[in-house]
Amino acid sequence: MTVAAATALRANPDRNFRYWLLTPAIFLLLLVGLFPLFYSLIVSFMRIDMMDTDTSFAGLYNYANLFSDKRLWAALGHTLLITVIALPIELVLGLAMAYLFLEKMPGRQIFISLLILPTIISPIVAGATWRLLFDNRYGPINQVLGWFAGHPVTALWTINPQLVYPAIIFCEIWQWTPFMFLILLAALSNVDRSQTEAAAIDGAGFLRTFRRIVLPAIWPVMAIAILIRGLDLARIFDIIWALTAGGPGTMTETISVYTYSQGFKQFETSYTAAIAFLVIVILTVVVVWAIRRMGLAK
Amino acid sequence: MEAKAAIHNWEEDMVTRRDLGKIGLAAGFAGTFTRPAWAADAAQTAVEAAKQYSGQTITIVWEAGLQSLDPLNFSGPKWKELTGIDVKVVEVPVAEMFTKIMQDFRSGAGAYDALNVIPAWMPDLVNAGALEQLDAMVDKYTYRDELQKIASTYRDNQMLVNGKIYGFPDDGDVFVMYYRTDVLGDPALQAAYKAKFGTDLPVPPTNWKDFDQVGQFITEFTNGKTFGAAFFREAGYGNFMFQERFRNEGGKFFDGETMKATINSDAGVKVLTDWLAENKWAPPGVEQWGFVENLAAFLQGQTAMTISWPPYGRWAASYGTDQEVMSWVPKSTIAGKVGYAMTPGGHPELAAGFCLSVSSASKNKEAAYLFIQWLNSEAVSLERVKLPYALRDPFRDSHFTDPGYAALWPEAKDYLAALQAGANNGLLDLSLLQTDKYEEVLRQSVSKLWAGEDPKAILDAAAAEWDAITEKIGVDKQKAVYADWASKSGAYPKM
Repeated sequence: MTVAAATALRANPDRNFRYWLLTPAIFLLLLVGLFPLFYSLIVSFMRIDMMDTDTSFAGLYNYANLFSDKRLWAALGHTLLITVIALPIELVLGLAMAYLFLEKMPGRQIFISLLILPTIISPIVAGATWRLLFDNRYGPINQVLGWFAGHPVTALWTINPQLVYPAIIFCEIWQWTPFMFLILLAALSNVDRSQTEAAAIDGAGFLRTFRRIVLPAIWPVMAIAILIRGLDLARIFDIIWALTAGGPGTMTETISVYTYSQGFKQFETSYTAAIAFLVIVILTVVVVWAIRRMGLAK
Repeated sequence: MEAKAAIHNWEEDMVTRRDLGKIGLAAGFAGTFTRPAWAADAAQTAVEAAKQYSGQTITIVWEAGLQSLDPLNFSGPKWKELTGIDVKVVEVPVAEMFTKIMQDFRSGAGAYDALNVIPAWMPDLVNAGALEQLDAMVDKYTYRDELQKIASTYRDNQMLVNGKIYGFPDDGDVFVMYYRTDVLGDPALQAAYKAKFGTDLPVPPTNWKDFDQVGQFITEFTNGKTFGAAFFREAGYGNFMFQERFRNEGGKFFDGETMKATINSDAGVKVLTDWLAENKWAPPGVEQWGFVENLAAFLQGQTAMTISWPPYGRWAASYGTDQEVMSWVPKSTIAGKVGYAMTPGGHPELAAGFCLSVSSASKNKEAAYLFIQWLNSEAVSLERVKLPYALRDPFRDSHFTDPGYAALWPEAKDYLAALQAGANNGLLDLSLLQTDKYEEVLRQSVSKLWAGEDPKAILDAAAAEWDAITEKIGVDKQKAVYADWASKSGAYPKM
């Protein structure tokens, strides 16, 4: 030990002790966070399924199968479709609602509380509730449509190919737009009023003010909201499971539904692990790209 | 003797508790006193042997919902009273049962001791090692003779894997055709039918051609006030309906030599095409109907014919539906107006059903075994199939002929006869290695049909998927399992 180090240790006798204090937390994080990940990675190179618990090294067998699995790529396509439709709608509606509630008005707090109610409902419960609402025999939606149409309406929302995506996306938007609204309301509330007022005095219209002043101000928060909701939509499961279980056929099967089906219904354990890693890779690439593109890395 | 006395005591308690006079169970109760001496033996033997485990707890997996009320309200408390063993019931929806059982086994947790298992799953569960072989315990506790009294369809086809006992058939699930005697027997309707078709209206129809003709005619004759028929169309149920009708139309699932799927044969296409045609005169939105929707429509008199599991018949007769747990069942408006028959084609599906098994991961195998022997015994099972809420259906020869059961409602004797005929002529669910993968393809096919896809294209795709599954499992391996299944008496109709 050098003289300088010994002097430093004497000056900070508890320097190592603090690391010891951190050790249990780090160990726990590694155990619950990284161990399952590494274990899944190892399993993905085996051939474990319902029939067999073959733990010998199977090479890239499962990963090679991913490329010929049409249902997997279709499920990724369905996930993407729902994401690219639902996310912009949630964003625009959330922003519009946030603007609406930006001004002080009577009962504002009560309305805001009511609006965020869907977000605090469990998605599986929301899905089951909407399934009942959409039910042809007992659900009120067809009944109400029937009043307008003047005759009974038999719209099979959960099995008609033309209606099933609108039904899913509607439920998703209903549940998660309030989340967008809440975050954007907080962001808008922090925009410097003096700048928007100055822009108005200078004759700038709403769109110009929004683009030049409001958007740059709220962008970091908005980008985070987009990222969170985008990742949520990429993992969408509950509402689809409750509403359609991926049907009709596999028309609305998302990647999470397919992974669940392979893992817990068909017991393709190793293949499911390979799917999980494919999804991790895809999402990592997308998120890194999005973070750079949105300027969040700065 | 003590155990026998105890059985009598709990039977008396049961009468007081459920106001059985109202629903006619008193007659069934009286019947238990007259059962032959041997009938109580298996139950009594199980009780006596189980007393050594007094104070322990066994855990049993049971279908969530009404089914679970049997061990929760009836058999579980009685077993505790007789043996001192607690029964913990884990309620699991049918769709998750296989998964939960396999997860428990694979993890080695041993959280479950006794299991309810759908017979079609047994090859998979046995192959995985999840079920305990029961032969030794059957002999040790002298249950073999009483097992033989289970109706042959269930006993011979749903109990064994590779010649060994892995489960006790405990639920006589079979599809029954229910028809409104007042509607089909209406002289005006019959006259109009004869005028139109030149033949008498068949009561009930015995083949699908007649069924569809009668059904469509009723819808048209009543102008939709009463629909000719409704069906399970939701994909989960459609799987069973397809399996039944496909085989009644002469279809075979596989070529026995090559193991190539043959569900895309003419028989398969005819079934799906006929379904589409039937939907046109069935209630609007029937494509979404499952158990409850179909039940409600039938009990409310909106449909004249339907096909379903046995509880429909009991509830249509209002048997036990005045109980609080049955409050969700619509009040029957058709009691006394329902006839029972075998489904068109004469070979109804023995759809699903349950066996009682012991988990190989259990740490209380002996106690678990004794509980299922007691449940499944002649004496106790008779009481259980008469529980109005528990959904267990008659599965022993003695159940079908029990005078107490036959007295539960005026037409109960006919009902039991229909169940017995169904059991004798019934068709087994397809049971292979990884059966659920094949069934999943069928479920998706049904769902694609309602989405408007072409029947032939759907079945061609399904057959290709079946072939891929078979290839993955191993053609020879699956061929041997299929050959074993196909050799069973209920695999295909005897044409």
